[in-house]
Amino acid sequence: MKSFFYKSIVIYFLIVLILALLSHYYIINFITANNQLSYSLFFCILLIICSPIVLITIIKLNNKKNNDSITNLKRINKELYESNERYDIVAKATSDTIWDWDIKTGGFIWNKGIQGIFGYKKEDVRENLQWWFEKIHPEDSLKMSVKLYSFIEQKTEKWQDYYRFMCADGTYKYVFDRGFLVMDDDRNVVRMIGAIQDITKQKEEEQRLKLLETVITQTKDTVIITEISDIEKELPKIVFVNPAFTKMTGFKSNEVIGKNANILMNKFSVRNDIKKLAEVLKKKEEFTFEALNKRKNNEQYWVNLTMIPITNKDNQHSHWISIQRDISVEKEREKEREHLISELTQNNKDLKQFSYITSHNLRAPLSNLTGLLNLVEDIPIENQELKEIISGFSKSTHQLNETINDLVNVIIIKDSPSIQKEGIVIKDVFENVFNQLSFLIGLKKPIIKMDLNKAQIVFLNKSYIESILLNLMSNSLRYCDPNKQLKISIASKKNGTETIITFKDNGIGIDLERNKDKVFGLYQRFHDYPDSKGLGLYLVKSQVESMGGTISIDSKVGVGTTFTITFKNNKDV
Amino acid sequence: MYNKILCVDDDPITLMLCKKVIEKSDFSKQIDTAHNGEDAIKYFDNLKNNLEKDKNIILPQLMFLDLNMPIMGGWEFLDIFSENKYHDFFPELKVIVLSSTIDPRDIEKSKSYSMVIDFLSKPITKEMLYSFSNNTQ
Repeated sequence: MKSFFYKSIVIYFLIVLILALLSHYYIINFITANNQLSYSLFFCILLIICSPIVLITIIKLNNKKNNDSITNLKRINKELYESNERYDIVAKATSDTIWDWDIKTGGFIWNKGIQGIFGYKKEDVRENLQWWFEKIHPEDSLKMSVKLYSFIEQKTEKWQDYYRFMCADGTYKYVFDRGFLVMDDDRNVVRMIGAIQDITKQKEEEQRLKLLETVITQTKDTVIITEISDIEKELPKIVFVNPAFTKMTGFKSNEVIGKNANILMNKFSVRNDIKKLAEVLKKKEEFTFEALNKRKNNEQYWVNLTMIPITNKDNQHSHWISIQRDISVEKEREKEREHLISELTQNNKDLKQFSYITSHNLRAPLSNLTGLLNLVEDIPIENQELKEIISGFSKSTHQLNETINDLVNVIIIKDSPSIQKEGIVIKDVFENVFNQLSFLIGLKKPIIKMDLNKAQIVFLNKSYIESILLNLMSNSLRYCDPNKQLKISIASKKNGTETIITFKDNGIGIDLERNKDKVFGLYQRFHDYPDSKGLGLYLVKSQVESMGGTISIDSKVGVGTTFTITFKNNKDV
Repeated sequence: MYNKILCVDDDPITLMLCKKVIEKSDFSKQIDTAHNGEDAIKYFDNLKNNLEKDKNIILPQLMFLDLNMPIMGGWEFLDIFSENKYHDFFPELKVIVLSSTIDPRDIEKSKSYSMVIDFLSKPITKEMLYSFSNNTQ
């Protein structure tokens, strides 16, 4: 501007000067002396007239030039603004964080992305190279910086790298950073400009997919994916099989991929199911079935097959996923188990029959013996020896009869899972028991303490509970300590949904350390008493359990024995 | 006291016992026996024939029946007896099952025959007969 001003002045001065000199020369050489003055005035006036014309022309020229440059400037400004705006919009649209690194000065400028994407406040961001490197994950920074500097060194045009960049909250985001170099005319690197893209989501998705993929490749289940064909009536094409497929069928993936699924099916020999299969395939619903298939080596195997229809984005059925499992072993086991169960059931049936017959065949002659002995009782016998013999014969017969009756009871209990129950007053049962044991009670004279007020009625089978209490009572009476006054305490109480009956004596007790597992066993005798058969507690336990109850024993040798019987109050049990 | 009863059992000792107990307890004047179901059917067939000739012959009023017997058991006898309308000829006849079976299902089954009035466990005793005659009288 200024130069133009001086230039204009000089041009004006020169033009005016030249005009003055020319007019002077003209006057001196061509004008006579007497006219010189008037010519001089004429030229003066001419000069004066010329001067503003020149000046105006110059100013006009200048104005035009100025106008041009302003328009130009405005245009440039506008372009610059638009470009800036574009840049901002692009950065926003791509969610890229742009950085500008002045390599010579080390200055480093970030765009707004550093705030928006990574959460930094404006004042947190230091505009130097070091800050950038500080925020790169320590595991990535070395590799990344080596790559970056070798890139600058080689002056290749484009650079890109993946690394983790720290956010304001200390977490890391996976980023993809792309940059290019800006060089001066001498090919010296002056700046580098880059764009950081947040790819955390893609990276996570990638890892998730990788994980999902390992499920498919590592699973023991066979996975087959087939693609629905556009052509009607054509069966789906196999697009994927996992390694388990090869293991199960013997077919390598390249032997089946791209092929029609029916090739597989024929080889799979699911011909029996093929009609059913075609029907359900048409329905496009998930379904499961079992089939007997063949491997590549023609070996047969049972497979459990689940077909799952997959839809695409437009909700159109596009693929089938088939998950298959070799269940030959399970099938075999199932067969074995069924066989075993039927065998056991038969055995059990036979044994039951056997026990009924045996007991019948034992009872028949025994009842004859008993009947005959009953007859003998009425006949007076003179011979003393014969009398003794008959008496021994009679005792043995009765003993045998009792044992067989007990065994018969056991058989009946074991065979009748549903027995009739009724509300029973415990006290009445005890009265009955005392009546039956009146002889023994008279002999041993026990002190009996009864506390049956807390739970007076139980819902049980009458003959069973009578038999249980009779057995326990007669045990207490039989196995009392001869050196002590026999004390028996009986109590009942309610505990939630249960009724508990305790039966305690101070008799000789049982050594539970030695006999823990045998106490309630069949034919277990713990004392050498003449009338002990070792059946009572077995019977008691069987009867308690057949009514849905439990029985436990606590006993110490020389101290006494306590039985605890627990029944459910519930009528239905 | 019954005039005539029939005891059916394959075991001669049981039959002997029955006879003796019945005699001793004055339960019946006459005791007939049969060794199995078929034998008993023959006995009734015979009676039927005689009945046609003489309507005044003495018929058995009560029958003790064992269940487990060879050739024809107690159940089969009861089935044939009720199916072939023997009952029309012997309307008075009642049956007591006298068995050493312990199968509870047998006791249940016996209740399905209308002529069976009781199910007793062997051996037969005088007390049994006394209480039976007391109940029926």
